[in-house]
Amino acid sequence: MNLIEAERLYENSVRILKMNQHENGGFYASPPGTRYPFIYPRDHSICIYGAVEAGLMNEARKGLEFMLNSQKPMGEFSQRYDVDGNDASYKELQIDGNGLVLFVLGKYFKATGGSFYEEMADKLFISKYWEIIEKAVQFILMNKNEEVNLIHTINSIHEYPAYEHGFEIYANCACCAGIYAAVDMGKALGKDVSGWEEQADIIKKAILTRLYSPRRRSFVKCIRVKDKNSKPIGYDPFASLVHDIDAVEYAPAYFELISDYDIKVMSTSRRIHQELWDKEIGGLNRYPEYWGRNNGGYGPWCHFTCQLANHHTETNNQDMAELYLDWVVDMAHEYTLPEHISTIERFELWLEDYTNGKILRDSKVKLIEDIRAHPKWEDGLAYVTIPLIWPHAEFIISYKKYRDKFHPA
Amino acid sequence: MIRLENMLPRAFLVGITKMVDMAGPLETISWMRSIGEELAQIEGPGFEGARMDSDIVYLPICPFGNEIVEFSEMYDESPPQFEAIINTMSKLKRESDTPWEYPAMSHVLDVLQHSYNQKRAELAGTRYHNLGSKSPLGDIRHYNEEAIERSGLTKKDVTEILDKAFFVYVIEHPEKE
Repeated sequence: MNLIEAERLYENSVRILKMNQHENGGFYASPPGTRYPFIYPRDHSICIYGAVEAGLMNEARKGLEFMLNSQKPMGEFSQRYDVDGNDASYKELQIDGNGLVLFVLGKYFKATGGSFYEEMADKLFISKYWEIIEKAVQFILMNKNEEVNLIHTINSIHEYPAYEHGFEIYANCACCAGIYAAVDMGKALGKDVSGWEEQADIIKKAILTRLYSPRRRSFVKCIRVKDKNSKPIGYDPFASLVHDIDAVEYAPAYFELISDYDIKVMSTSRRIHQELWDKEIGGLNRYPEYWGRNNGGYGPWCHFTCQLANHHTETNNQDMAELYLDWVVDMAHEYTLPEHISTIERFELWLEDYTNGKILRDSKVKLIEDIRAHPKWEDGLAYVTIPLIWPHAEFIISYKKYRDKFHPA
Repeated sequence: MIRLENMLPRAFLVGITKMVDMAGPLETISWMRSIGEELAQIEGPGFEGARMDSDIVYLPICPFGNEIVEFSEMYDESPPQFEAIINTMSKLKRESDTPWEYPAMSHVLDVLQHSYNQKRAELAGTRYHNLGSKSPLGDIRHYNEEAIERSGLTKKDVTEILDKAFFVYVIEHPEKE
């Protein structure tokens, strides 16, 4: 692995994270004047996670303050916010945001304590926001279906209800991990959180049984169900299973619900590699091409590639970890990372599909112009939305993990 | 096709006509506004829609558009109770000292939608004005001239945004005045 280049990308990723935090605390998904100049709790949470891993504790704290102060009255964290913390979303429920905020709050809390967790952790901060934490957990549990013990959502990580509306794996793992984080924080404050712990255990068990297919030896994407309160869910008009491959089927390990050595994770990660590693340009695609929602052209995503690099690092597979991280380093343009990468041929195919289908939104015009204007176009590649801040945060997390394991100082 | 499962939006629209018959358009407007404001309290501060680089917000798709079209197909033409609400809203706007606060009405449900939007904006410490709207029943556009004037935009600007949207709003920041 080219460690010098990897270090440079790491350093620039830290710089990019710092540069893209608004003074009010929100991390932009992409810089002002580009495609996503808003604060998306999903991206924002991973940026906080990246900041914690990079030792940017003040930035992480400020980011958490921004998010926790922006909670909606029912306890929800919305799809996106403006820099003042006002809800600016235009999509329906994305409950993984609730789980993610709690999960990274837990990461911050633990990191402030370090080896002296009990004595040093920032309990004052958690106490200040305890009521918000409670509401966030309650909102998650409000969306739990008692028939299957899973959390219902409309959108999840891909913001694509066609494949995510129902009991979706990423949302469930994020929420379950978020409740566990709240339990840990509550215990540190001396609160009675036994009810939450029981609920988290129930949800975890449901993830490991209902969202795992022993015959496929893989986690599955989603139990598609339209209404969270459909009873019985078998009669719900959407009732069906999405067992297609998706990079986020790695979520049970990403969110630390089970070990990377668990056979379920091992076989799922193998399946992800076999079916989503891009044969032409490398890197990990997020889902199958035939899902047909490939803005800018089908192709691999930097942040999903980083996420799965974690699995190979955790399981001590240095060759595979380097295959994944090397690809990210190689694809960086001037040490900045795009959302995803496609080829000119695939870009044109997507454009044709969307133009003929009359589903090309006006907002994509700028995206198309930017892709064609990017220097990598001359190399035959379509760089879609660059820089995106999320992959930089994800690279900080995964590269640090890799470096600590295989090249400790 | 009406099924029990999808009855509620149609029931609400029929309910509006029944409410006008029972209590008159003015009471119905108050009723719809109170619903919008209560839902806004539950949802909290915010601005729904696509945001331009400025404080202009627009809705690329029409909320309840499908329901409105299906309802109009059921009734062939707009029920007279809807006309009564639209006419009453026009009168209220004409007689108001703050006409920019009224929706650019393209459908009766704009009363509900606008009260919801305005309350959420108020909770965010701002004001929210509806500059223009486009009916889901055809390319019929409505403008709030006073709101447009107050925003500093021109009707042409709003028309251009309405080419790709159904509703155009501006966020007004009282502290900047």
